[in-house]
Amino acid sequence: MNTLLRFSILIIPIVGILFFYNLLTEDKFYPGANFKNFNVPNFKLQSLDSASSFKKEDLQNELLLNVWASWCITCRIEHDFLMKLNSEGVRVTGLNYKDESIDAINWLNSYGNPYNFNLHDLKGSLALDMGVTGAPETFLIKDGVVLVHYSGEVNQAIWDSVFIPIIQENKMFK
Amino acid sequence: MKKIILLSFIFLSFIGFTSEVYTFNSEVDEQRFYKLIHEVRCPKCTSGSIASSNAPVSEDLKNKIAELINNGYSDKDIKQYAKDRFGSGVLYDPEVNTSTYILWFGPFIFLAIIFIGFVFRRRLG
Repeated sequence: MNTLLRFSILIIPIVGILFFYNLLTEDKFYPGANFKNFNVPNFKLQSLDSASSFKKEDLQNELLLNVWASWCITCRIEHDFLMKLNSEGVRVTGLNYKDESIDAINWLNSYGNPYNFNLHDLKGSLALDMGVTGAPETFLIKDGVVLVHYSGEVNQAIWDSVFIPIIQENKMFK
Repeated sequence: MKKIILLSFIFLSFIGFTSEVYTFNSEVDEQRFYKLIHEVRCPKCTSGSIASSNAPVSEDLKNKIAELINNGYSDKDIKQYAKDRFGSGVLYDPEVNTSTYILWFGPFIFLAIIFIGFVFRRRLG
C-alpha cells in the first residue's frame, strides 16, 4: 500500500503530461472545424443588388456557403482560394455579413467574384442563426443539411484535411 | 477659479451613453433578460458574458434573446438556442449530464481518494 502511494506521486504527473502531450500534438486537431450536422434555418434575405430574394430552399443543393465582408481582411486572403475552388467546379455561395451592399459590390468588382450568388445579411440574422461568430466562416451544405462548419480562413491545407474527407464520404461535387 | 471652470466641463457636459435599448412586456421579462445575458458567454471572446461584451455577435445575441423572450420562449429554450449554435461552452454553468459528471463530481472523488489514502496511511503507520 505504501509503495503504491509513493509510486502514485510519480505516476499521476506522468499520466497528466502524456494526456496533454497527446491532445496538443494531435495531427487532426482543427479548433475551427465543427462537424455537428444541422438543418439550414429558415430565412428570407435579398441578393446584394436587392434584385432577387432568397429563402431556405435556395440553399439545398451541394454548395459551400462562405461568410464574408468587405471589411474582413482575412476574407481578402481567402479570396484567391475561393476563386480556385469556383474554377474547379465547386459551387460557392456568398453570405455577405454586416456589410453595406455598395462596399461589397465594389469589392467583388475589383477583386473578382467567386460566388454564384450572394445573400445580403446586413444585420447578421441568418449568420447568428447558423452560429457564425465572425468572418470568414464556411459551411459545407448538402440537401439542406450543414455537414461542416469551419471558422477561419479556408486554404489548401484546411480544404484537404477538413473538407475533402467529408466531401468524398458524401460523394459531393461530382 | 481655473479648476472650477475645468471641473464644470466634466459636470456640465451633455455626454450620455446608452447602448441598445431593449423593450419588454413586463418587468419580470426584463429581469429574466438581464439574468440570461450574464449566463451566456460571448462566443467571440469566450472569457466574458454577452452582458459585458459589445462584440457584434454579442449584440446580435442579446437582441435575439430579447426577441425570444418577447415571443414567449422559456429560459431553458433560450439557453438551448445558444447552445445549439455556439456549443455547450457558451453557457457559463455547465449542465449536469453524463458528459459533465466528471467535471462536477471529479474533484469530490479525488478528494475522497486522498482522504481514504490518508486514513490507510495512518492505520499502517
